[in-house]
Amino acid sequence: MKVSFRVQIAAALVLAAVVPLAAALFFASRLAEENLALGLNPALIETLQETPALYGDLFRARKELYAEQARALAADMPADPQQAERVLQAAVRRVPRLRRATWLSPDGRVVAEAEAEGPNPEGEWRAAQARAVLPSGEVLECVFAIEARFFADLAEVRELAQSYQSAGRLRRDLQKSYVAAFGAVMVVFAAAAAAAGLLLARRTTRRIADLMGAVRELARGNLAVQVEEGPGRDEVAGLARAFNAMVREVREGRDRIVYLEKISGWQDVARRLAHEIKNPLTPIQLAFQQLEASFRTSAAAGDPDLSRLVSEASLVVREEIATLERLVGEFSAFARLPDVKPEPAELGAFVEEFLRSSPQVAEGTEVDLARQADCPVRLDRTLMRQVLGNLLRNAEQAARPARARVHLSVRPEGERALLDVADEGPGIPPEIRPRVFDPYFTTRRDGTGLGLAIVRKIVLQHGGDVAVRERPGGGALFAVALPLVVTAPARTPPRRRA
Amino acid sequence: MRRAVLAATALLVAGAAQAPERPFPGSVAVAQGRLQASLDLSDAFPSGMERTLRDGLTHVVTLHVSLVPDAGGSPLSAWAREVELLWDVWEERFDVGATDPEHPRGRRLRFRDFASLRAFLADARGLDLGPSAPLTGERWVVVARVELDPVKELVERTRELVRGHGADGGAPSMLGAMASYLLGGAGGEGQARFFRSRPFVVRDGTVK
Repeated sequence: MKVSFRVQIAAALVLAAVVPLAAALFFASRLAEENLALGLNPALIETLQETPALYGDLFRARKELYAEQARALAADMPADPQQAERVLQAAVRRVPRLRRATWLSPDGRVVAEAEAEGPNPEGEWRAAQARAVLPSGEVLECVFAIEARFFADLAEVRELAQSYQSAGRLRRDLQKSYVAAFGAVMVVFAAAAAAAGLLLARRTTRRIADLMGAVRELARGNLAVQVEEGPGRDEVAGLARAFNAMVREVREGRDRIVYLEKISGWQDVARRLAHEIKNPLTPIQLAFQQLEASFRTSAAAGDPDLSRLVSEASLVVREEIATLERLVGEFSAFARLPDVKPEPAELGAFVEEFLRSSPQVAEGTEVDLARQADCPVRLDRTLMRQVLGNLLRNAEQAARPARARVHLSVRPEGERALLDVADEGPGIPPEIRPRVFDPYFTTRRDGTGLGLAIVRKIVLQHGGDVAVRERPGGGALFAVALPLVVTAPARTPPRRRA
Repeated sequence: MRRAVLAATALLVAGAAQAPERPFPGSVAVAQGRLQASLDLSDAFPSGMERTLRDGLTHVVTLHVSLVPDAGGSPLSAWAREVELLWDVWEERFDVGATDPEHPRGRRLRFRDFASLRAFLADARGLDLGPSAPLTGERWVVVARVELDPVKELVERTRELVRGHGADGGAPSMLGAMASYLLGGAGGEGQARFFRSRPFVVRDGTVK
């Protein structure tokens, strides 16, 4: 079964997210169980539950104590109200937490009463009443203080006990809910991580899929195919760059071969044409010269009209023969282009030497040269001089009738040495630029269309290429690229001891 | 309010299907065109419950009485009472708050001892289950459910406990808040008792 790369990455990401998640959930469950077992200890909860009852026992004991104290006070109560009041005042001072003692008659009238002064020494308090029957049958009502904090503590303990009792009974549910909450959080994080991973993987797999598609296109023979390299510096971007470079090289190599094959064919044509034209040209020239000589010695030479006619015809025939001879010459030169015999040279120095040794160039053209750095190349000096000569002649002819201005520049770029020949002429329209290197293509009436074809052939034979584009600021720019020669760094000779 | 009671009762009746049922301790009758159920729920509050109810903690007792088709289905009508009671260890009495259809805003009661509290809790007379006229032509049963400290109450208290206890004793953590939200209480122990009447029909204004 064929599983796509993207699915494999997605599966790996999901697996990478799920396995730790499952393990985390398992341990979270155990952790929650152990924590809840500690926090919701049944013995602790039972103790909490029993605490209100303990407060109840405490309150009951206090109530009994207060009742006993009230009874004791009632037993010692004198019958005289004034004496009773003194006894009550002494009791309020003596008996702990007794805040008020009141002797009430059967009809509810206060017979004697004493009340504690100042705050309760034990802080805030609530009233606890205790009644005792006096020997006279009347009632002694005592108000004792009980600490208010007991009630606050009781309320707090009660709430806590109820909560823990409820949580204890729902311990399993609580554990499940904590694990579910943990799981939900983990799932959210895992999903976010998986989504981010998938997005990144999708980007990578898409680029790989693009590369695969481009390789298929290449296999179908499409040498124009290129893939997006992207801004990244990862392996896939490197692969894309390498692929594009490879396709470019293959395309340039194929173009070079095709062009050279085409040029070779045209050279055959040129050779045949030169031969076919040159052969009859000499007899024609000789025959016409004989005809002209015979006319001059004949009686017809006295006829002025005829003499003028022959003279004009002679001029035309000579001009046309000269044109044909020039054509034959150029065709022959094109047909007999020699093989390149390269030798090491520095491109900038070569161009300088060419300009210095070609005074005819300076006659019709203003040339300047800019050199940025040394460009070691291998070139056939004779043929490359022809290249430069053709390009400069092209610039000079394009500028006519004005004097041509040509800017030469030499610089290294990557693994190539670049020689730019830029003129300030009318330039070359974009629609005819692809054809300017085709043999016999020319826009000039008297051109043969061989100059630029020869240029490209020679450059291609040097392992380089030439392209034409518009010069910034106007004019045409021919860019000649030659492979740089990689020279090994010079070794410093070891010092000798004196 | 009535819809909420019906919805809650529907769930409780569903629970009743899985719990053991006891004989119906009461009767069903029609009075003034309305179906009324009267129950004596003493069996639901045995004397052994006194110790639990006098532990000084707040307890909740709920009573849900519903009228459901004998063939099964959703309740047609329901009656519910919720009683919150606390044994006041200082005053030594039961403080009770009860809410039912007759006292929707609740009422406060006090009982000195368990016997009087039990009498109050067990007394469920004249519970109005709606008009009797629409009931003709079908068999019905009355289902009563009495529950001490229902799971819903436990869940609420536990949620408050979880929400109120963050890791630093302050605000609850995100995990605690989520756990509180997700707490279901399905596995909580309820102390519920179910009673189911024999099937009956309402014909000619009487229960048969």
